[in-house]
Amino acid sequence: MIRFEDVTKVYPGGQQALNRVNFHLQPGEMAFLTGHSGAGKSTLLKLVAMMERPTSGQVFINGHNLNKITKKQVPFARRDIGMIFQNHRLLMDRSVFNNVALPLIIEGYHLSDIKRRVAGALDKVGLLAKVNNMPHTLSGGELQRVGIARAIVNKPPLLLADEPTGNLDPHLSVEILKVFEDLNSVGVAVMIATHDLGLIARMKYHTFTLKQGQITQDGLSSSNLKESEFEPVI
Amino acid sequence: MSLLFSQRKSSGANAANPGHRLVMFFIRHLQQALASIGELWRMPMSSLLTMAVLGISLALPTTLHLLMKNGEQLRGTWDNAAEITLFMEDGLSEIQTKTVLRRIGLYEQVNQVTYVSEEEALDEFKNLSGFGDALSYLDKNPLPSVILVVPTEQYSSPEGARELLDKLQEQPEVSFGKLDVTWLEKLTAIVTLLEDAAFALGFLLLAAVILVIANTIRLSILNRREEIEVLKLVGATNDFIRRPFLYTGIWYGLIGGLIAWICVSLILWWVEGALIDLASQLGANLTLSGLDLSEFLILITLSSGLGWLGAYGSVMRHVYEIEPENQL
Repeated sequence: MIRFEDVTKVYPGGQQALNRVNFHLQPGEMAFLTGHSGAGKSTLLKLVAMMERPTSGQVFINGHNLNKITKKQVPFARRDIGMIFQNHRLLMDRSVFNNVALPLIIEGYHLSDIKRRVAGALDKVGLLAKVNNMPHTLSGGELQRVGIARAIVNKPPLLLADEPTGNLDPHLSVEILKVFEDLNSVGVAVMIATHDLGLIARMKYHTFTLKQGQITQDGLSSSNLKESEFEPVI
Repeated sequence: MSLLFSQRKSSGANAANPGHRLVMFFIRHLQQALASIGELWRMPMSSLLTMAVLGISLALPTTLHLLMKNGEQLRGTWDNAAEITLFMEDGLSEIQTKTVLRRIGLYEQVNQVTYVSEEEALDEFKNLSGFGDALSYLDKNPLPSVILVVPTEQYSSPEGARELLDKLQEQPEVSFGKLDVTWLEKLTAIVTLLEDAAFALGFLLLAAVILVIANTIRLSILNRREEIEVLKLVGATNDFIRRPFLYTGIWYGLIGGLIAWICVSLILWWVEGALIDLASQLGANLTLSGLDLSEFLILITLSSGLGWLGAYGSVMRHVYEIEPENQL
């Protein structure tokens, strides 16, 4: 689903964020991406989302080389990727409905379709009752779930999440992960960047560990923990 | 249109047939146009202030245009004053006079010919000069007979009338002719100067309208930076993002144009009495004409166009610049 081939990213100014990274996320797979802040997690996700371009190497999504996607095509390519952010990035002056409907409005759906799909997405994250609320009336966990609803409302085959549980307490974090697991069970590929190792310890998912711009580990999370190579999380 | 996953059925609108897609295209434009009105309505005071600035900027060139238009009408009445006076030789017989009158009347440049005999001229002079009886002591009438020639409209301009005068002076019966056009030439020069100045001023004010709208739209883009970033993240094209701003520019221009029209109508109503009075003092019969329908439409179209242009400049510069950064 996502394949990196010798991807190097050097930012203007000489800071090397990624150094010859190789990995492969299988179709329909759910995986974690871990590492310290500054290890290159965000850069890796930005390359997938086409917010940055690799300095060298190639990124493939579903076999398509992203280097060949022109600037004009980027918006259309992004519609195939659902993105979830640590700070949810909702528009605070619009209702939950209007936030979640955004990707559908952009693609030009009929209002009746929009209503149906928004209701479906909000139902999946358990917030159907709050469809007409304004974001500032919701709790942090609820906001994050609205963000997930927005990411999945047009049913993208791939979900990227950058520290989706970063601002949440452990109980809420587990709830959010459950949502991702449900989505993954219907065939959506999910890639979650997190440094919350306690969270992924309980789950048997593929984990990629980034250290100083390189993938140092590539295995199932539970076995990784046994080897206890992780340093304490700040 | 799914780019990365060809098997994925993506858009609701794109799945439909082309005719339906076209309808949806217009519906979406209409939605965004209406949404941008809503956006203006959210800050009614500041929107209205901007529109008022635009309206006043547009009102000035419009007023100048009306002044020129009505001035043209005044000049039309004064042009007829380009009357040629021909002084005849002494001692022409009645037949000779009739012949020359007919000959001049046949000129295609001549609209009207009036003959004033020596006696009539003396009578008129007696009445107007106030010398009255004193003149009757003269043993001989000193005044020549006169033909007054009014040229056709085409030959009423200073140059045309002068050309006609030269022709008429070649007649043997004519002693000499006189044409008082110097004041007409001065008036024409002043009007030309005013027109040029009005054009320059109008041009500057239209440029100001574009700049005001461009700046307003720039601020509104920067205020909504967060929203633009999010839109780009969920796959909005630049076209989609800039459309509401372009519509906002058009609305600013349109409503600015309407305000300008109201201002001009008020100004016209305010000065109408004084202007007509002035015109009648100058011997002209003036009916003040305001903006007619086509001029009104031109004003509205022009102001909306300027609004679009100003917004377009801002949008091209700023919407493309904003790219989602930081987290993911």
